[in-house]
Parts: sequence; structure tokens; C-alpha cells
Amino acid sequence: MLAAPANTQLREFFRTLLGYLTRLTSRRVLWSALLAGALGAVALVLAACAGTGQNVTNITNPNPVSWFPPVPVTEQGDQVTGIYPLIFAVAVAVFVLVEGLLVIIALRFRRRSSDPDLPAQMHGNNLLEVTWTLIPALIVAFLFWQTVDRLAKIQHLSDSPPAVVVEVTGFQWQWTFDYPNQGALSFTGSGTTGPEMVVPASEPIRIRLHSRDVIHSFYVPLFNYKLDVIPGRTNEFEITIDEPGTYGGQCAEFCGLSHADMFFTVRAVARAEFDQWVTEQQAAASQTPAPLPSGGQTLTLNAVSVTAFDPATLTAKAGQPIVFDFHNLDTTNPHNVAIENATPEGAWVGTPIANPGQTASYSTPPLQAGTYTYFCAVHPTTMRGTLTVQP
Amino acid sequence: MATTTLAPRTAVYGRSRVYEWLTTTDHKKIGVLYITTAFGFFILGGIMALLIRTQLAVPGLDFVDAATYNQLFTMHGTTMIFFFVMPMTTGLANYIVPLQIGAADMAFPRINALSYWMVPLSGLLLYSGYAFGGAANAGWTGYAPLSGVSGGRLFEGVGIDLWIAGLVLVGTSSILGAINFIATIFKMRAPGLTLMRMPLFVWNTLVTSVLLLFAVPVLTAGFVMLFIDRHYGGGFFDPALGGNPVLWQHVFWFFGHPEVYILILPAFGIVTEILPVFSRKPLFGYKAFVFATASIGALGFSVWAHHMFTTGAVFLPFFSFFTFLIAVPTGIKFFNWLGTMWGGQLRFSTPLLFALGFISLFLIGGLDGAFLAVVPFDFHVQDTYWVVSHLHYVLVAGSVFGIFAALYYWFPKITGRMLHEGLGKVHWLGMFVGTNLAFFPQHLLGLDGMPRRIVHYADNPGWGPLNFLSTVGAFTIAASILPFLWNVVISLRKAPDAGDDPWDGNTLEWATTSPPPAYNFDSLPPVRSERPLFDLKHGAVAAHAVAIPAAAGETHEETRADAPEEMLGEPIEGHEAGQIAAEAQPGVSEAAPDATPHDARPKADDEPTPRRRKSDK
Repeated sequence: MLAAPANTQLREFFRTLLGYLTRLTSRRVLWSALLAGALGAVALVLAACAGTGQNVTNITNPNPVSWFPPVPVTEQGDQVTGIYPLIFAVAVAVFVLVEGLLVIIALRFRRRSSDPDLPAQMHGNNLLEVTWTLIPALIVAFLFWQTVDRLAKIQHLSDSPPAVVVEVTGFQWQWTFDYPNQGALSFTGSGTTGPEMVVPASEPIRIRLHSRDVIHSFYVPLFNYKLDVIPGRTNEFEITIDEPGTYGGQCAEFCGLSHADMFFTVRAVARAEFDQWVTEQQAAASQTPAPLPSGGQTLTLNAVSVTAFDPATLTAKAGQPIVFDFHNLDTTNPHNVAIENATPEGAWVGTPIANPGQTASYSTPPLQAGTYTYFCAVHPTTMRGTLTVQP
Repeated sequence: MATTTLAPRTAVYGRSRVYEWLTTTDHKKIGVLYITTAFGFFILGGIMALLIRTQLAVPGLDFVDAATYNQLFTMHGTTMIFFFVMPMTTGLANYIVPLQIGAADMAFPRINALSYWMVPLSGLLLYSGYAFGGAANAGWTGYAPLSGVSGGRLFEGVGIDLWIAGLVLVGTSSILGAINFIATIFKMRAPGLTLMRMPLFVWNTLVTSVLLLFAVPVLTAGFVMLFIDRHYGGGFFDPALGGNPVLWQHVFWFFGHPEVYILILPAFGIVTEILPVFSRKPLFGYKAFVFATASIGALGFSVWAHHMFTTGAVFLPFFSFFTFLIAVPTGIKFFNWLGTMWGGQLRFSTPLLFALGFISLFLIGGLDGAFLAVVPFDFHVQDTYWVVSHLHYVLVAGSVFGIFAALYYWFPKITGRMLHEGLGKVHWLGMFVGTNLAFFPQHLLGLDGMPRRIVHYADNPGWGPLNFLSTVGAFTIAASILPFLWNVVISLRKAPDAGDDPWDGNTLEWATTSPPPAYNFDSLPPVRSERPLFDLKHGAVAAHAVAIPAAAGETHEETRADAPEEMLGEPIEGHEAGQIAAEAQPGVSEAAPDATPHDARPKADDEPTPRRRKSDK
């Protein structure tokens, strides 16, 4: 035989390799390393073979990742751009100083066999200790002064409200934008896209925040700003958006099941364009509602309380829009109807939300055959029903 | 030096081992119970972290659904804080504090046992949520009204109630433990052990206990209010009934901020114990350490609303000011730690590696805190991954590194066996690399605007790769725990090899056997400084820079027996001045102070010092 069979060669190879590795480290360390590698591999496998579910596609920051906050598009955001490089520089300086000292210490003061039994037993040095108390105190005093100064500029509200005031209402898990000064325009989002807030650029606008249920937070990364949306409290802030553009935002206070899907956008446009948009929206809103789609089906649905629809089950036909003849029979709470997974984007939400005692007419897109859950968008976990859509 | 184990005059009465452990009131056994229970919860919380990080490894994954994810991050936080770090540090303190102050046990041993047993019971309560339709899912901070009621609507289910019940019970355990430690530390110190001679670990335990005593009842009150809102028509946090959701945040964070100091101060104490021993120098600025610890404790009660800057409901300058201020005593500690090591003779054993890892990485978490004190910046990064990064640097690079440093340092004392150094270093390397990989990228994600507590995220540029890196880091940390566990297993199996004082320590716990007998000490060395054992081994004259005035004709290399009485402090009752030294150091001559009775000088490499045998004196 000229060459040993391949499997013997392979075995020899691994035996040699194992012997070599075992000589380098101990067998125990080898097992640990193996296990560590296995765990890492498991991680990758898990990541790779997990299915893709409902993607959110809302980009709130199109800029590449950076060591600095995104360049803000508001005047107020410039306060952050002004202070951040300063704190960053202080932090880097302290980091380099302390880590540098640590490295020097580790290298220079290793115990060596030539060392005497004990090094000099220093207990302290008053001058040093006072110095390294005073200098940090001065640094933080300076940063505090900067903080207070810039804060005042961010929080400034005009003496009288600007022309454009947007009343933002957050609720699980959607936003409504109302324009009281622009003819009571109202926009409620649906699905993960959320509503779009159109505002004029280059002039102060005021945003007022209300919650229907739990605490949310109105966060636009490109504003470098957020403010909480708290039930029972109206928070408000003023900004001047310097650059026209579309800026993504999302809820930044954990608010329950679909907190991760609560997006919106802010679109800043030139004043003239804003005025035109207002005119168009007012015209659309005042139009008589489109006639019900022919062949459409009408279902009567009552909201009875925060825990019940009447009826709790419905049937409909596929391929045709459903028109809900909706009655809010609850005397204290607003309600509406929404359908889970009605579209590829997510839920369909009926708007506007019906106040106590009101009726509303909601028209859904055509649905495919199947079983759906309908729910009240204001009370999504407690008011639920089953909709069977037949082919 | 070693205490000899006297032949017991009475036979130990026969008890089964299980019964002994179930009913023990011995602080050492209770300490071990705390430590092992806490470690079990660490594994549970760690598995949850891995599940979270797997879900976030790439954008758009559906590894777990939103409902499960919300429970995961809630239970991860609650478990790690209340069932891992707090019981672990309590367990370490339980074992070590009575030894370090020369006491035979804690002040209230039976309450000590009760405090321990409340921990697994409350853990059971907390986790039973999984059996009843879902565990707590409103975040470890459980903000109202999501955790409560608003407009007549109850948002989340029974998991929250079990969360409340579990935390009220474990909080009570903490309060009882705090009372026990305060009483023990104030009333049961050995003669000569004045407050300003206490080891820093004891000081940190004391301040932590005071914080617990004042903070936890506030949390409990908050939970009671929340429960009343949830089930008895209360209106504390329900605006429809005239309540205020922000009130919950005030009550919670009035506890919550001292809580983070409760989590970190023991780690500070551990690092402050380890550095002098492994540098072979005293602590640099003992008084400054005490002052800094006390200041951090006190100031910790003044900063709570810096967690609430974006509510629009707090007086921002006040809380920004005190948040900046609290950086100063923390900075003092850092520089004093460096000063302790400077000019020393460092032995890079695993405890020192973890202590150094702590210093180098907790620094990052601390600097993050200074950033957050700048309110305009906080407006941008509050509730984003910047905060997640900060809190994990201070808790993982801080508390967890401190805990592992303590475990490697005191394992020989507790078990009588040395841990394998090679495995320890593999563990350390994995944790150091893993911690940075896992949490540093999260700074950038937060800066970029990625919020926290979200089950999935959109594919903003760079978010995918950074999240993936973070996941790899998390798994690296998890993998590094394996050599640690293996180390414990193999080390426990071998014969005792540690001896009384394997690290050439300074404090009293090393003046008895490993493990100590049930009553801890047969006799105590005289306590005349913060390093009583060091004084005993190396001679107090050599230990202090203070010159003792020479009597006529004598050199400076005198023994303690010649020191004037004022230098010695209070004499032990029944002893005459000068007799102490002679009794304690029979071998010390009037010759050079380095004629020490111990066997050999510590080696220059990482091997521990030769064991002191029981027959040595």
C-alpha cells in the first residue's frame, strides 16, 4: 500500500491536532473554548433560521450611524449640537486619562521577583486628593451652566401661540393629529405607517400632546427631541423646522403590546405649499362622503362598554368592502372598530373615533376569506370579536 | 495566626444535612444559600437576555412575538435586579461582614434566615405569572397607567399582580436584611475596630443598608397604591379619578435611584477590598473613600427625577445639578483606586483582573451618566438604547464584574479551595470582550434614535450590523460563564488547598480557617488600624508611615511593644499595654520589621502564597 486510506489519515490528523492543542492549553480550557464556539454557532443558527415576521419598514433616521446625534433639522435641536461635542471631548479626555493611567499601572507596577517584600506604604496625599476633587467639580459646574442656558432656549414658548398648532393625541397604538386653526382638520393613522403631520418650515409651530390611555412619547430623532404624552396632562413644545423634508418619528415610552409599531411622520414644507395643502384637505373633508360602494355589505355593530361589542361575532363576504353602521352606545367612552391583519401593512382602523352616543360609518377595504379579529382601537385588548369572511 | 479548631467539648448532635441547611441561622450558610440562589436567577435572567438579543439580532425577525418579548424584557430586568444582584451582594455581605468585623454571627440570626427564605418564595410568586396567562410585561419600572388603570380600563393582567406581590415580599426581605446589617455593624464590632478602621466592604454594606431602609418602603408603598388602583377602585395614578400617572414615576424613582446605588456600592466595596491586597499597599485615602461612599448614599436621594426629564413635569435644573454633583465623589473613588495601585506590586490573579475590568469599564457607564445630566442631550436619548447601554455598563461591567471579583476572591475562604487561575482568566477575557461587544454598539444605536423596549426595528442604516454585534457580545458573555461553572465544579471536588490566607490579605476574615468554624474565631488579632491582619504579619511599625519617636539609644526598628500607649489606641480589657504585641507576635524580635513569622514571601507570578498551616503561629 502506498498511502494509508483517507479515513486513517484523517484520524491521524485530528489526533495530532488535538495533541498539539492540548499541549498548548489544558483539556479543560479546550472544552470551554469548544462550548463557547458552539454557543456562538447556536446564536448564528438561531438568527438565521428564525422566520421573518411582520417587518416594520419605517426609517426614522436615514443617516449613517455616527458617534454624534443626527444633525437636527430644528432651531431648538442646534442646542444639542452645540453642547454635545463639548461633553464628548470631556468624556474622551477623562477616558484617555483614566485608562491610560490603568495601562501604565498594569505595566509599570507588576510584582517582580526582585521586588522587596513590601512597597512603600502610602496612605494618601492631601494635595492630590483635593486636586482631583476640585477639578471634576469645576468641570461639572461648567457643564451644568451650559445645560441650564441651553435648556431655556429649547423650552421657550412664544407669548401667544403660533399660527400652526397641532394637537397630537396618542393612544394604543396609533396617533391622531388635529389642526384646530386650519378648519378642524383631523388625521388618524392606520397600520404601522401612522399619520403624517404636514407643517410649514421656517416658522414656529406648536405641538400639544394628549393621551387617551397610557403614557406614550412623541420622539423624532432628527429633532433631537422627545416629550412624553401623558394622560391627564397636556405637554407642549415649540419648534422651528429649518429644513423642509420628511422626518420619521415613533413612540418612545413603552405603552404595551404594539409599542414597537407606533410610528408617524412629520413633513415640513414651504409656507405656500402648506397653505395649498390645507386648502386641499379642507375641500376633501367637506365633500359629501362617497356613495357606499355598490355591492357593498353593511354590518351593524354596537359598542356597548369597554369590554363588549354587540354582536361579538360577525360574518361577511370576501372581495367586497364592509361598511360598518357603527353605534357607540357607551355613555362615557369613545370607541370605534378596527380589524387585525386586514391589509398586508397591518390593521385597518375605522376613523374618526365615535364619541359616546355618536354613530359612524366605517368602510373597510375588501377582505380575503378567512377569520379576522375585530377590535376597538381605543380598547384593543378588552373589546374584541370574531369576523368570519366567507368566500 | 490561624485559629486552631479546638476539639469540641460536646458531640455535635446528629442532623441530616438537608435539615441543617433548611433550618440554619448561621450567617455563613445563609450567605451560601443567598449566593447560590442568586446565581440560579442569574442563569434564568441571562437566558432571557439571550432570547431578547436573538430576537433583535437582525431587523424584522419573528423569533418571539411581541407579547412574549414584552414579558421577556420585564422579567429579565426584574430578575437581574431583585433576584440576582441584590441577593448576591446580600449573600456575600452576609458571609463576609461578620468575619471582617470579628463577630460570631449577625445581630439577628433568625431574621437573617427569614430574609433569605423570602427570596426563593418571592421568586416563585413572580415567575408563577407564566402559569397564569402571562408574566409581568410592563417593564421592570412598571409605569402607570399601563401597569394600572386609566379611564376605568385595566390594561394588563394578573402577571402584574404577581409581580407586585413578589416584589413586595422580596422588598421586605431587603428591609429586614438592612436592619440586621446596620445593627450588626454598629453593635458587634471587635474591640479596637472603630468605625474608621472598618474595611470598606463593611462601610459600603452599611451605606447600602441605610439606602435600602429608606428606599424600599417607598417602593412598597407605591406597589400598594398600584394594587389599590388595579383592584379597589383607587385613583392614585388614574387621571379619570383625579390621579396623576407622573406620581407613580416619582414614587418609583425615589426608590429607583437609591436602588442603583444599592446595586453598585457593594461592588465598589469589593473592588476597594481587592486592590490593596493585590497591590500590597494600603488604601489610598481611606477617609476619602468613606466620605465619598456616604456622599453618594446621601446624594443618591436627591437625583431621582433625572429619570423623568422628558415628562415635562419636573424642575429640571435641580435634578441636573445634583446629578452632576454626584459625579464628584464617584470620581474621587476612581482616582483613589488608581492611587492605591500606583507604586504597588500588582499580582494579576483573577480577582484583580475583575477589579481592573470593573474600573476600566464602569468608567464608561459613569461617563454616560454625566452625558445624561445634560438635559438637552437627555431629551434626545432618553428611552433609547443609549440608556440601555449606560445601565448595562454600570450593572454588568460594574456590579457583575464586582460580584465575580468577590466570588474569585472569597471562594477560597468559603470552600477552603482555590479556583483554577487559567479557567478564571478565560472567563474574565470572555466577559471583558463580551461586555464591550454587547453594550458599546448600543451607544451608537441610541444616538441614532433606536428606542428601547421594542420587539423589532426598521432597517435604518447601520442598525442591523450594530444589533448583530451586540447579540454576539451577549452570547460571548454567556459562553464565558461556562468556564466559571466548570471551575467551581472541579475546584469543589479537590482536597482543601487554600489555607487561611491564600492572598496575603489585610482584614480579619483571613485570620481564621477556610472555611471558618461555626463560631468564626477562636481569638482575634489586635485591631489597631484598618489592616489588622497586615499589622500582625508585617508589624505595625512597617505598616505606617507615622514615625514612632525613638527612645534614647534605640533605632527606629522597634516593635509595637515599645510604642507609646497613645499610638496603640484603646487597650484590650485585661491586657496591659505592651503585652498585646508580645502575645500576638511571639516571633518578632527587635530586629528589622521584616523578620515576619510567615513562611515565605509571596511569589512574583500569579500563584497564591504558600498556605499557612494550622501548626504555624
